[in-house]
Amino acid sequence: MPQYMLLLYDDPSHWMTISPEEMQKAIEKFVGWREKLVNQKILVGSHKLMDEPGKVMRGKGQVRVTDGPYSETKEVLGGYFLIEAADYREAVDRTRDCPGLEYGGTIEVRQVDPMVPRD
Amino acid sequence: MVDHLFRSRAGQMVSYLTRLLGPDQLDLAEEVVQEALLKALQKWPYSGIPENPAGWLFHVARNAALDAIRHRTLAGEKSVDVTADRIRSAAIDREIDPALEDQLRDDELCMVLMCCHPALPRDARVALSLKTVGGFSTREIARAFLSDEATIAQRIVRAKRQIRDDGIRFELPAGKDLAVRLDSALEVIYLMFNEGYAAQSGEDLVRRDLCQEALRLARLLASSSVNNPQVHALVALIALQTARLPARVDSAGELVLLEDQDRSLWDRRLVGLGFHHFAQSAEGPLLSAYHIQAAIAAIHAGAGKTEDTDWKAILELYDQLMDLSPSPVVVLNRAVAISKIRGPEAALAALRPLAEDRSLRNYYLLPAVQGHLHFDLGDKETAAQYFQQALDLPCSEPEKRFLRRKLGECS
Repeated sequence: MPQYMLLLYDDPSHWMTISPEEMQKAIEKFVGWREKLVNQKILVGSHKLMDEPGKVMRGKGQVRVTDGPYSETKEVLGGYFLIEAADYREAVDRTRDCPGLEYGGTIEVRQVDPMVPRD
Repeated sequence: MVDHLFRSRAGQMVSYLTRLLGPDQLDLAEEVVQEALLKALQKWPYSGIPENPAGWLFHVARNAALDAIRHRTLAGEKSVDVTADRIRSAAIDREIDPALEDQLRDDELCMVLMCCHPALPRDARVALSLKTVGGFSTREIARAFLSDEATIAQRIVRAKRQIRDDGIRFELPAGKDLAVRLDSALEVIYLMFNEGYAAQSGEDLVRRDLCQEALRLARLLASSSVNNPQVHALVALIALQTARLPARVDSAGELVLLEDQDRSLWDRRLVGLGFHHFAQSAEGPLLSAYHIQAAIAAIHAGAGKTEDTDWKAILELYDQLMDLSPSPVVVLNRAVAISKIRGPEAALAALRPLAEDRSLRNYYLLPAVQGHLHFDLGDKETAAQYFQQALDLPCSEPEKRFLRRKLGECS
């Protein structure tokens, strides 16, 4: 089954004024959504990435390492879900009710290129 | 996750850290707790909920506090330095053991009593308690009190400044001071409850949450070393009234009067809790206004059917309440009891003194009750005038629909 990477971007400043009760509600929605993926046996993995900045490496021989990347937009990459789906249409359909969207975030859906080409 | 876990644990963590950091660092305590909750919000969607969510939050909040102190020390602020050790050695692990739970309850209690210091303006006491102990956001408090966010925020900022300037301490007061503070705390909880209960809307859940928070705080006081019969009376009053909430609005969202409520919808657990504390409130000679109101609520709660309501006993209690703490609202409620025993005309006579009272000028319930009484007398024309008058005053949507229905019955 092909795998799809769901990259979740959001604007952290959006969460600054939210109340504890609202935070709990948001988490519960996310957990419910994730649970659904688990029950459908299509969740391969999911991780939050540490907050920016990370490191950016460039060049050969003398490798330059800098802090970054700093997003040019307010949205930052928060984490990812790796799921299984038959095709892009199905992957998008399964992502449609991800709470990240409800809370104003953006999701990038990318198919993972399999190691061995399929027939 | 347990319902309202974030809200209630936020209050506990802020209280706990305020004890360690000192009341002048209340802002810092709130900041790091918000940060911990935010971290959970960012992480748990991917990792799932940890085995011990509260312990996780405490651990992260503690580390955030240490980080903040390190930054401030680096920036040359000496005052917070000494607290770092206290936090480092604080017994916060990923598990919250029973000893820590006890400590947390004590800290919450101290926080309530600090926020209810009589030197602070009454409005500020309510807002500050909801913010620090209740874990409500300024926006939620504003919504619950039909106020705007800026007003509430300013009220809270000023109260915090006053706590700093007056050197109000985070501790369990003793002796006479404790009695004064406890009275103030009961008043704050009572106001909180009334605000939530008077909403009658059922459309805005935040207001129902006010009743729950009032009940939680009242129970916190009742289970602590500072409890007294008055505290139990307040718990009883709140529990017995909150028990009726599920029956106040029908499935179509329409308001249902007490006499028409489906009593099987009343929350049996809360009724039981109410009677339990009502029994405990009877110890000692003191009879407070909370006692009398709890007794009235107990009579309603004890009546299996509307017809079983002992209105004579209720009227006697309202008479006592008039002696003890008279108010226009008591006069109004007493008139309703009078109408049940001596009829609408006697009730209207009892309401006459209120015509001059300016404090009820914008209170829709006065003309609404007058409308009912005239309706019962068969004077539909006058009744319609009063219902219309009530409709012109501020009230919730279900109340408006109810009054419009009544108005329709008049023509």
